[in-house]
Amino acid sequence: MRDIAHMENAITFSIVGSGGDGAVVAGDLIAMACAARGLHVMKTEAYGPQIRGGESSSTVRISSAPLVAPAESNDALVVFRFADFARFRSEMALSPDCVVFHEPNDPPPAELAALRCIAVPFGELAREKNMVAIGILGAMFDIPGDEIRAAIKKRFRKKGETVIEANLKAFGVGQAFQPASLGRRLESLRYTGTPHLLMSGNEAAAFGALHAGCTFFAGYPITPSSEILHFLSDWLPRIGGACVQTEDELAAIGAVVGASFAGAKAMTATSGPGLSLMAEMLGLSSIAEIPSVIVDVQRGGPSTGIPTKSEQSDLFHALYASHGDTPRVVLACCDVEDAFHTTVDAFNIAEEYQLPVIVLSDQLIGQRRETVDAASLVHDVVQRRIALPVDEYKRYAYTEDGVSPMTIPGIEHGMYQTNGLEHDELGRPSSMYVVHEQMNDKRHRKLDAIADRYRLFRRFGAEHPELGILCWGSSAGTVREAVERMNGMGASVAAFVPRILAPLPASELQAFVDQCERILVVELSHAAQFHRYLRSEIDLPRGRTAVLARSGGKTLTVSEVMAAAVEKVMA
Amino acid sequence: MNANDFKSDLKPVWCPGCGDFAVLNSVYRALAAAGCAPHETVLVSGIGCSSRLPGYVETYGFNSLHGRALPIAIGAKVASPRMTVVAVGGDGDGLAIGGNHFMHAARRNVDIAYIMMDNEIYGLTKGQAGPTTPTGDKTKSTTYGNPDPAIDPCALAISLGASWVARGFSGDVKGTTELMTRAIRHHGFAFLNILSPCVTWRGEEQHKELRAKTRAIPADHDVTSREAALRFTGEHDVLTTGVLYEVARPTLLDELAQIERRARGSAPPPTRDQILQLFQMR
Repeated sequence: MRDIAHMENAITFSIVGSGGDGAVVAGDLIAMACAARGLHVMKTEAYGPQIRGGESSSTVRISSAPLVAPAESNDALVVFRFADFARFRSEMALSPDCVVFHEPNDPPPAELAALRCIAVPFGELAREKNMVAIGILGAMFDIPGDEIRAAIKKRFRKKGETVIEANLKAFGVGQAFQPASLGRRLESLRYTGTPHLLMSGNEAAAFGALHAGCTFFAGYPITPSSEILHFLSDWLPRIGGACVQTEDELAAIGAVVGASFAGAKAMTATSGPGLSLMAEMLGLSSIAEIPSVIVDVQRGGPSTGIPTKSEQSDLFHALYASHGDTPRVVLACCDVEDAFHTTVDAFNIAEEYQLPVIVLSDQLIGQRRETVDAASLVHDVVQRRIALPVDEYKRYAYTEDGVSPMTIPGIEHGMYQTNGLEHDELGRPSSMYVVHEQMNDKRHRKLDAIADRYRLFRRFGAEHPELGILCWGSSAGTVREAVERMNGMGASVAAFVPRILAPLPASELQAFVDQCERILVVELSHAAQFHRYLRSEIDLPRGRTAVLARSGGKTLTVSEVMAAAVEKVMA
Repeated sequence: MNANDFKSDLKPVWCPGCGDFAVLNSVYRALAAAGCAPHETVLVSGIGCSSRLPGYVETYGFNSLHGRALPIAIGAKVASPRMTVVAVGGDGDGLAIGGNHFMHAARRNVDIAYIMMDNEIYGLTKGQAGPTTPTGDKTKSTTYGNPDPAIDPCALAISLGASWVARGFSGDVKGTTELMTRAIRHHGFAFLNILSPCVTWRGEEQHKELRAKTRAIPADHDVTSREAALRFTGEHDVLTTGVLYEVARPTLLDELAQIERRARGSAPPPTRDQILQLFQMR
């Protein structure tokens, strides 16, 4: 296993301000500079509820080793206004040797008194105070200035020379301000010189859709998934595809089902509220056996919940939404690169098995930007098998694996009726019990075939673990870092992360559970949806299973997982 | 192709005397008259008595969800522009539960024909008031009379920007067939509202009343005038049939083709590496 980044070989800093302070742009520029130099970067953003002008923060984690988890705690913090910082305080940890930069006329709160606080007159030094900040941070952490300057030029290219010059000048002021020997310089930062791509999970999912051959996208704007709509609105027309912004999510999934019926590989993307509206059409896609791909970038729920923050609480909805016995596949991506692979898998499964496939991503994956190796963005693509009937054609013929021959409009002897009503092999409506039972059986057989073919999971850590951790989605990275750290301290821990949640790779999962002395389930769902789901699908050891389940809205941390392992399991 | 080539061997579930039989007859004739090939035709419906219609026609057919025929039809048309796509359904399906889609299909001018079989009642659920039921009517769900005013579907379609709007009466198969043929041939969103009586829940009376009220649109009507068209909507004592409104404007497919040209010009489709350049920081 290749080394991964951990607390000792990674650096983290945050920039906090109000809208217009440019905190997010500042984080972007450093992330861009690091990616260009071959460092690994993970950049997350947090916002208040305001559309413009509210508080925002940008957190960047950097290492020469691959990063699998978001930041644990900050080594440096730039605060343009402590009133804004207060809004993020409960979600932001500071390391004991964290250096805090702030405006002289805005003193830090008492609780930060123990830290090294340095007053910097950002606003006086330059109008572009965020550039001053990255000048200071860049010098502090040895991030090559020429690379940051290149990032500034790239980022402001469209704004013209004057803007670029002003920003470069402010950046220079920040570099010059640098007090000598500040903070901890990372001896271990190694610049490989091989540039990485820097992309978000939403971009990776959208690129995955293009890679899979998607030619039709319909969607309705919703935070935190809209970047998928934006990306495909830009690129689909260039490849001869179509992107339609619909009037609501009912229409979005409807158009996807219609386009797929007509032969296109089609997808929609949404968040929890949109998935709620799509529930009925999910059932249609399932009973009519029309491939569809739905990406759900989860946010805090229920109802409108917390649109800008991550949670893992759409699990039940993805698994069970829609009335009736509704076979569907649910996949979950673990990180940005995985959002690409999972989306391609979703198309492959939907097209081959003619059913709806939901990809569960979340705000933490969808909207963070992280470095990705271009060479890893490859994945085999499955094409739909189009039937070319010559005589009597049975669209819903009973078959061994449940997959029936599918035609598309335009094929001369392939006409058929499809239906949200229960139907016979020809697609004709039927309310007979025997037809219903046989058709239910046929549709569910596809899940057996999929379970057999797609055993998608990650397992890492000790080969013979005492403690086994079960988690899914964006928790996987944090759990992985925690597992490595605990094992580095002499513990024997492993983790199992299913990437396909329905049908679950139950035998592998059960074998893993049976191998472990104790089990810890980790998830960001207050109601412990994942734990409850596992209990319904496999046997967890009584009295030896603990659960770390809490609300989203704050990123899961390595120390939190380690503490749960010690307190709840080892105790 | 002649009308008989479009008949499927499935027997309609409709009540004897239902207006939809006549509409179905017009569908067979209109598809033939418009020169459609069965395998290049897609009929999409929602849920309701009239939404059973695609099953009785030998084309590609999709009997979908209540209110959702239009989004599915739009997806099918955009994905496969060569197909003739016709959406069919009832007044409840299209104006109540699916009303929002009606608005947006009309404004987008999607190149489909939308045939609404309007019986002024919910038939499949056995006789509740619908969005076109007249105010005051006693139905199973409006015991003391319907409190809501009726929607005039044609007035709605015209105001929403539909580029072709007509009204027909199922009792006039010849007239309805002609309208339907024109609807299918129209370049853009063509909305045809067909008064199709429900003998079971509205009684024989409805049929007689409609027949008595029906009159053909005056020959000198200016179909390009929105104002003139709206004069024939919301009528009480008469029911004017014929093409009320017809204008030429770009369809959704025309616009999407424009977007493709704007996005790419004459350049070949981008390669994978060209797309990934977006994420290269150097």
